[in-house]
Amino acid sequence: MTSSPGFSAQTLSVLAALCAEPSQWQHGYALAKQTGLKSGTLYPILIRLADRGLVEACWQDEPQPGRPRRHLYRLTAAGLASATAALAGAARPKAAKAPRTRAVRGAVAGVVPWTG
Amino acid sequence: MDRLNRAAAAVAGALAWLLPAGRRDWGAAIWAEAHEMPPGLARLAWRAGGAWVMAREALMPRRLGRAALFAAAAGAAAFAAWPQPGVGHAAVSQFHVIATVLLLAGLPLLARRFFGPASPSRAGRSLRVLCCAAILAYLPALYIVEAFANLTPVQAAYRRIVCPFQGCGGAPGKSTGGPPWAGEIAFLLMTIAYLGVILFLTSRRSRVTRSTLAIGTGTGLLFGVVMYAVAPLGLTNDATDPWLPGSTADPLVALAWILLFGGPAAAAALAAWRGRDPAGTALPRNVRIGQGIAAGVLANGTAALFVSALGTSTTALMLKSARLLHWFNHGHQLTAFAAYRYEASAAGGTTVYLFMLIWFPVIGLIMSALGAACTPPGRPASGN
Repeated sequence: MTSSPGFSAQTLSVLAALCAEPSQWQHGYALAKQTGLKSGTLYPILIRLADRGLVEACWQDEPQPGRPRRHLYRLTAAGLASATAALAGAARPKAAKAPRTRAVRGAVAGVVPWTG
Repeated sequence: MDRLNRAAAAVAGALAWLLPAGRRDWGAAIWAEAHEMPPGLARLAWRAGGAWVMAREALMPRRLGRAALFAAAAGAAAFAAWPQPGVGHAAVSQFHVIATVLLLAGLPLLARRFFGPASPSRAGRSLRVLCCAAILAYLPALYIVEAFANLTPVQAAYRRIVCPFQGCGGAPGKSTGGPPWAGEIAFLLMTIAYLGVILFLTSRRSRVTRSTLAIGTGTGLLFGVVMYAVAPLGLTNDATDPWLPGSTADPLVALAWILLFGGPAAAAALAAWRGRDPAGTALPRNVRIGQGIAAGVLANGTAALFVSALGTSTTALMLKSARLLHWFNHGHQLTAFAAYRYEASAAGGTTVYLFMLIWFPVIGLIMSALGAACTPPGRPASGN
């Protein structure tokens, strides 16, 4: 069962991770570490969010020497609004219960101030 | 490990080539991030996950793939079920094939229009696929069984035995084919009812929860498997339960009776007990009863569909395969006449599946209404 209309618990955890610093570009590896998701779960979520215009992606300008260029992600304005609403919606009825994932727990405490 | 990483890289390279243009960046992105992972198993796991994502994306668009798969399956089923020259009621059989395929292709589109898109539940999606597969499998199986059941034997000795029971309307060696128009229309109405109910219950607008769909489908599959073990070739004395002596003391038969009445009641009680909205609050009583009834009807409907399609297909395969016939009669010396009598009995026995298709969901409806009405709301659950 989705935790919020249209978003699964895993998607919410990705949104929460992106919401933590909405203006900053983030790497896939960093998002995977924050959410605890594997690449096979994380990237389909990012792809869907990008398709819906909630996440924007770009390539790193200056790659580290000897490393390939990395893909960067951040929320769009619409994505930030949707994410905040979805996280608040997920946090409100579940306030009495343990959040499902690390990132959602972080979101409840950090992104949605009235639940922290 | 290096070798595995190289193999994963090769797979990913091939998959990247298959990706649509708009998705290739994502393939490269996943691969680039692998360099950030610690070398060894973690990096390999990241790449394996990436290869999985790329494989899924390469198979897009899924709708096109699903449509192609359906067209291939429907084409194969229609080809196998198309009446042979000389079979009676050929027009009815042809109409049956065409109408069934059109129903399977068109009803989901109509359901989307009126009931909304399919539920995101995995059980719901699986149920739709199972329903479609069962109806398609039923097409050729039913044709083969009916053609055999209505065959007038060539040998006079066989005719003397068979014709008084099943009637022999055709010339020797010819089959009168399937049912007349009235029977065909009734069967199509039943197909529409099954498809319509399953499409509705697995749609978003029905508001049947994921747990209800999972409970109903799971109970139905369990009952279907037990019922198939009891009656793989119908319920006639000759054909029933070839492995165990059929009797009311047979534990499988007892289990089938328990599941027929107790399965939908238990599924309904569980679904009603778990009936909660996404916020975790208990649903109103009438909504919980609705969830329970949906689970019970799904349980017996799924079981009936499962056992009917599988049992009729098994019978059809047996009619086409002497090896399967002898396998079902292991330990017995089959004379040609005994084999024919056994086949005729099994072909005639499949009509019981039609009764199951009609009455199992009705029993499910009654038992689930009782089960759901007697169930209090459960404690708040962690998910629905």
